[in-house]
Amino acid sequence: MTRVLVPVAVLEGGSVSPGLISLLGAVDVTVLGYHVLPEQTPPDQARLRFEERATSALEDVSQEFAAAGGAADHRLVFTHDREQTIRRVAGEVDADAFAVPGTTGDVDRILVSLSGDVDADRILSFVEALVGDRDVGVTLFLAAGAGMVGDGAADAAASERPVPTGAGDGADARLAAAADRLREAGLDVDAATAAEGSPFDALIDAVPGHDAVVMGERAPSFRSFVFGEESERVAAASVGPVLVVRDRRADDESDEDVASAADDTAPAADE
Amino acid sequence: MPDEPSGRNLDGDAPVAESVVETESATITDDAELERTIGLTGGLAIGVGTMIGAGIFVFPGLAGGEIGTAAAASFAVGGVIALLVALPTSELATAMPRSGGGYYFISRGLGTLAGTVIGLSLWLGLVFATAFYLVGLGYYALDALAQVGLAVGAGSDAVVSVIAVLAGLAFTVLNVTGTENAAKLQNGIVALLLSMLVAFLGFGLLEAFGLVAVDTPPGQAANVWGAGPVLSVAALVFTSYLGFAQVATVAGEMKDPGRNLPLAMVGSVVTVTVLYVLAIFVATNIFTRDALLSAGETAMVEVGRALLGPAGALVIIVGGLLATMSSANASILSTSRAIYGVSKDALLPRRASRINLRYGTPHVALGMAGGPVVVLAATGQVQLLAEVASFLHLIMYGLMCVALVAIRRDRPAWYDPDFVVPGGSVVPVLGALASFGLIAFMDRLSIIVGIAVIAATAGWYFYYARDVSLKGAL
Repeated sequence: MTRVLVPVAVLEGGSVSPGLISLLGAVDVTVLGYHVLPEQTPPDQARLRFEERATSALEDVSQEFAAAGGAADHRLVFTHDREQTIRRVAGEVDADAFAVPGTTGDVDRILVSLSGDVDADRILSFVEALVGDRDVGVTLFLAAGAGMVGDGAADAAASERPVPTGAGDGADARLAAAADRLREAGLDVDAATAAEGSPFDALIDAVPGHDAVVMGERAPSFRSFVFGEESERVAAASVGPVLVVRDRRADDESDEDVASAADDTAPAADE
Repeated sequence: MPDEPSGRNLDGDAPVAESVVETESATITDDAELERTIGLTGGLAIGVGTMIGAGIFVFPGLAGGEIGTAAAASFAVGGVIALLVALPTSELATAMPRSGGGYYFISRGLGTLAGTVIGLSLWLGLVFATAFYLVGLGYYALDALAQVGLAVGAGSDAVVSVIAVLAGLAFTVLNVTGTENAAKLQNGIVALLLSMLVAFLGFGLLEAFGLVAVDTPPGQAANVWGAGPVLSVAALVFTSYLGFAQVATVAGEMKDPGRNLPLAMVGSVVTVTVLYVLAIFVATNIFTRDALLSAGETAMVEVGRALLGPAGALVIIVGGLLATMSSANASILSTSRAIYGVSKDALLPRRASRINLRYGTPHVALGMAGGPVVVLAATGQVQLLAEVASFLHLIMYGLMCVALVAIRRDRPAWYDPDFVVPGGSVVPVLGALASFGLIAFMDRLSIIVGIAVIAATAGWYFYYARDVSLKGAL
C-alpha cells in the first residue's frame, strides 16, 4: 500500500488543508507531528510540558485523514532538526512520499514534475496510487535541458546539441511514454514541456491551473544548501501543497549495506 | 532493587518515570519520540569549545607565572586525571544516554543523597565556571580596548567586572529569547580557534627549537620543578578540563551515543591536553616566570606580540574573546540541562523546568544559571572562581568513578553499556583517587567555599527530597 508522510508543526498552529486531506484519501497517511525546539531546551523537557496538548491535536488531524478514506496513524517527535526528523520517520514508516503542506481547496488537477535526476518510475507509480479511480486530472511536466532519469541517450543528446529544442526531442519521447503509461491506468493526462529558463522557474510558471504539485526527491546539492530544499521553495512559490516522492534507488541497490551506511553517515549528517 | 524511582518531595511531586526505548537516532517514549540531533562534530565542539577558552587563553599567565615551564607538567597531570575520569564517564553515559550527565549517573549508582548533592553542585559548579570564563572574557575585552587606544589605567579591575557582568546578562537574555541555531556557530568558532592555535603554536615551536629567532625578553626567575607546586598548579588549572562532562549533559541528544559519546569525551580531552601543554611550553619558552606573572590573565597576548608582532597580539585577543564567549555560552546551556535533570527527579521544585511559551526556552533554569553567574562575575576573583568550579567538579568526577564501580557490582538488569572501560576497576579507582587527591592541593579558601556549597546542597536534600528514592532506577 502506498503511504504518505504528512509533517505538521503541531504546536505552532500547523494544520492540513481540506484539499490535501481529500487528495490523500486513496492512500495511507502517517501524520508526523513535530515540534522544533531551540537548542537551549532539552527535547525531553518540552515533551513533559507539551505532550498531552500535542497528542490531542495530532489525534484530531489523523481522524480527519481517516474520515477521508485511507488508513491514518500518527507519530509525535520533539526535535532540534526538522529535516532530520522527516527523513528518519519517512524511512522508518517506509513512506513513498512526504507532503509539504500548503493551502488548497478541492483538487481537480495536479502537476507532476519529472524534471531532473529523479526516480520517474516511482513517481508515476505513486501518481497512479494517489489518483486511483478518482476524477483528478494530471499534467506531466518536464523542463527540457533538465533531462530525465536513467535516460543516458537524452543526456548525451543534450550535451551534443545545446539548443533547447534539440534536447527536447528525447525528453518529448520520454514524456509521451510516461503519459501513455498513466492513460493506460485510466488517468486524465496532459503533458507539457518548457523549453527555456531554469527548471525551477519553469515549474512555478506551470503551476497556475493546478491545485497540488508532485515532484521527486533530489539529492542535496550546493543549490539546495544555499537556497533550501527545492520542494520547500516550490511549496512557498506555488502556495499549494507539494508531495515529494522519495528517491529510494540507493536503498534498492544496497539493502544489505543499509545498517553500516547509516553508521557511517551519522557523524557527518550534522555538518 | 527497584527499577523505578519512587517517593515524593516536600511539594508532593514524584520523580517522572517511564519506560523508554533508546535507538541510535531517537529516544522513543510511550507517545512521543525525541530526536537525537548532535553528532560527533557537535559533541567535540561542546567539549573542546567549553574547555579551550580557559586553558589556552587565561591560565598560561597565571600558571606559568607561578612555576614557569613546570606548568606544562601541571597541565599534563590535569589531562591524565581528566582522561581517567572521561573513560568511566563514557561507560556510564553509553549505558544511560540521558540528559543531566554526571548527576544522572551518580543518583542512579549511589542514591538520592549523593545525587542531590552532585546535581546541585553540578549546577553551582557550572555557575562558578561560567563566571570564571566571563571574567576571563572581561580581561580580553580590556586588552582589546587597549589595542584600539582606549587604555584604562586605574580601576581596570572594576572595568573587567563590569564587562563580565554585562556579558553574563547578555548571554542569559540571548539564551532565553534566542531561537537561532547557535550550535552551528559554535562548531565554526571551535574550528576557527583550533586552526588559529595550530598555526600559532606551530610557529612558537619553530621558535623554541631555534629554527626561527625572535627577541625574547631577558629574565632570571627559574622554573619551579617540584611535586608540590606542580600539583597545586594542576589543581588551579583543572578548570580547563571541565568541558568533557558537559558532553555527558547532552547525552540524551547525541546521535549514535554508544559510539559518539566516548569519542567526543575522550577526543576532546586529548585534543585540549596536547594544545595546553604546547601553549605553556611556548609561552614559558619566550617569557620567564616573572614576566608572565606581571602580564597576568592575558599573558598570551604578550606572547603573541613577541612571536608575531601586533598581528600576533590581535590574533590572540580575537581568539581569547571568541574562546571565553564560547566557553561561557556552552556552560550556560549545560547548566539548564543539569537543572532540568534534577527537577525531573523531583529534587528541585518542578517549576524549575518550566518552558517559556513565547520562546520555547527553559527560562527559569536559564535564570537560575545566569543570575548567580552575574553575581559571581562581579567579584572578578579569577583564581577563587576557577578553584571552586574545579572543586565541585572534582567531587562529581570522583563520585562518578565510585558510581561506576558500584553500578558494575550491583548490575541492574538494564545496565548494558556499549563502551566498557578495560582493566576492571583499575581506571575508575585511580580516577576517584586522583580526583579527590587533587582537591588537597587547592587553596584553603576555595576548599572552604566548596565545602560550604556541598553542605548547603546536602541540607537541601534533607529539607526537600528526603523521601525520594532513585538508586538503581533507570
